[in-house]
Amino acid sequence: MKKATLLLFVLLAASIALAVSLGSASLSWHAIVAGDPTARTILFRIRLPRVLLGALVGATLAVAGVTFQTLLRNPLADPFILGVSGGAAAGAATATAFGLAAYRGIVPAIAFVGACGATAAVFTLARRRDYVDPTRLLLSGLVLNAFFSAVILIAFSLSKQSDLTAALRWMMGTLFGASWNDVALLAVLLVIVITALAFCANDLRMLAFGEDDARSRGVDVERVKWIGFGASSIVTGAAVAVSGIIGFVGLLVPHLIRLIWRRDFRYLLPLSALGGATLVVLADLLARIAVSTTELPIGAFTALLGVPFFLSLLRRSR
Amino acid sequence: MLELRNVSYAYGDNDALRDVSVVFGANQLVALAGPNGSGKSTLLKLAARVAHPSHGTIAYEGRALRDWPAKEYAKQVGYLPQETDPAFPMRAIEVVVSGRAPFLGRFAWEGESDFAAARKALEMCDAMHLAERYLDEMSGGERKRVFLARVLAGTPRVILLDEPLAALDVAHVQQFSRLLRDIVDRTGSTVVFASHDLNWAAAYSDRMLVMCDGALALDAAPSEVMRPEVVSGLFGFEANVTNGWLVPR
Repeated sequence: MKKATLLLFVLLAASIALAVSLGSASLSWHAIVAGDPTARTILFRIRLPRVLLGALVGATLAVAGVTFQTLLRNPLADPFILGVSGGAAAGAATATAFGLAAYRGIVPAIAFVGACGATAAVFTLARRRDYVDPTRLLLSGLVLNAFFSAVILIAFSLSKQSDLTAALRWMMGTLFGASWNDVALLAVLLVIVITALAFCANDLRMLAFGEDDARSRGVDVERVKWIGFGASSIVTGAAVAVSGIIGFVGLLVPHLIRLIWRRDFRYLLPLSALGGATLVVLADLLARIAVSTTELPIGAFTALLGVPFFLSLLRRSR
Repeated sequence: MLELRNVSYAYGDNDALRDVSVVFGANQLVALAGPNGSGKSTLLKLAARVAHPSHGTIAYEGRALRDWPAKEYAKQVGYLPQETDPAFPMRAIEVVVSGRAPFLGRFAWEGESDFAAARKALEMCDAMHLAERYLDEMSGGERKRVFLARVLAGTPRVILLDEPLAALDVAHVQQFSRLLRDIVDRTGSTVVFASHDLNWAAAYSDRMLVMCDGALALDAAPSEVMRPEVVSGLFGFEANVTNGWLVPR
């Protein structure tokens, strides 16, 4: 466990260093140390917040993914399965249709409200008397996502052509324009959420054996579900608001970690956070530098990087 | 030790348990028999504190279950549900040591004493050789033994098992029944196991509770239950009894 954490930590640090050094504008460390104002602006205003935000978004998605998979006892669950991304995207698309894309900060704020609203709606639908039914939760998420797709289509049809490019880019996931404010906001939220999940980690791993079994072992299953789903959904909403919809990280990273280390939730939580952070930092780096004239969507690179690695592990496992 | 007083339970409008009163003492192997849907699982769930009765009370050591702190009660009473497969691959030793969960503090990890308890439990279930194997590489019988070891690792005084013999072939059924007998004899704990197979329920148990339509129909020694007239009256099943075994007529 210590070795695995250390290994992933070194990997993340190396990825961050690499991602900060490389980019469309060449950046020499010599110039930064010498105090060149342009180099410093690129590093501290543009590149560093972007790379750190990528790490935080990746950690968030992976942590939410492993939590959802554990709570739902479903290996196909991801952070977006309960409608968080759909709600956020519908909020963002509606804001764009009303011409609010021009005002900085409005679209992410409305996206966050949409994410929280979607989560609340899914929970209300899945609640039966005194407990939350996981099957109803999945089904409600699925159906709400379909509803949100309809909202997005209509909103996009009503949007101005000039606003659409930015909206589409957001929907494909982008860290363009990351600010220190975004970094600080997400960092604080993520620390709170990881602490809350660590607080329930011993109980969460007992859920692997089913809810009845966990109850008989003294686990307050309903409380664990509320904390787990609630905390993961809110921080996912915040991540989506600042970076758009970056697919695949939440589904893939916990499985990658599980294929290598095969351990319970208490190990998977920190390892997934580090693994998710590394994957998004590298994917964003490739998205920035693959084509010099434009930026490609990160979501494409999380899949391009993750899938071959995942498949080779899957083939080698029993 | 464990006492159910006028306990009823309903899933929505369906009564699953109707006015059941029963007392479990120490050092007993109790078989909970009865057809499918007769309320066996529900009774075990309520006794394991997985759900609370709609009416009536359950008390352990004279204290109502609702008043027991959840983790404290979990140290006293171990429960094995009918289906327990973990959602993700796990090695047997990890499964068994997770039975120590009620003893762990919030941020604590299992220590050497917990692993020692887990190994002892595996040994008792004759499953030490499975410790490092993954559950999904095991046969149904091996898996059952690992899950029984998981319950034993918590050193409970009352052990509740829901259909532990189901899905086992006849040799493993016998092996597992003997194991249950052995656990009662060696640890002095009380084992209550549900089984829809009357013959096996009777074979090694000290006492049989026969459930019918959510009510307790009979509470007697196996020799008193395994009689043609009793079985025919309870189940409408016509049979002879040969050497304590029911044989269809």
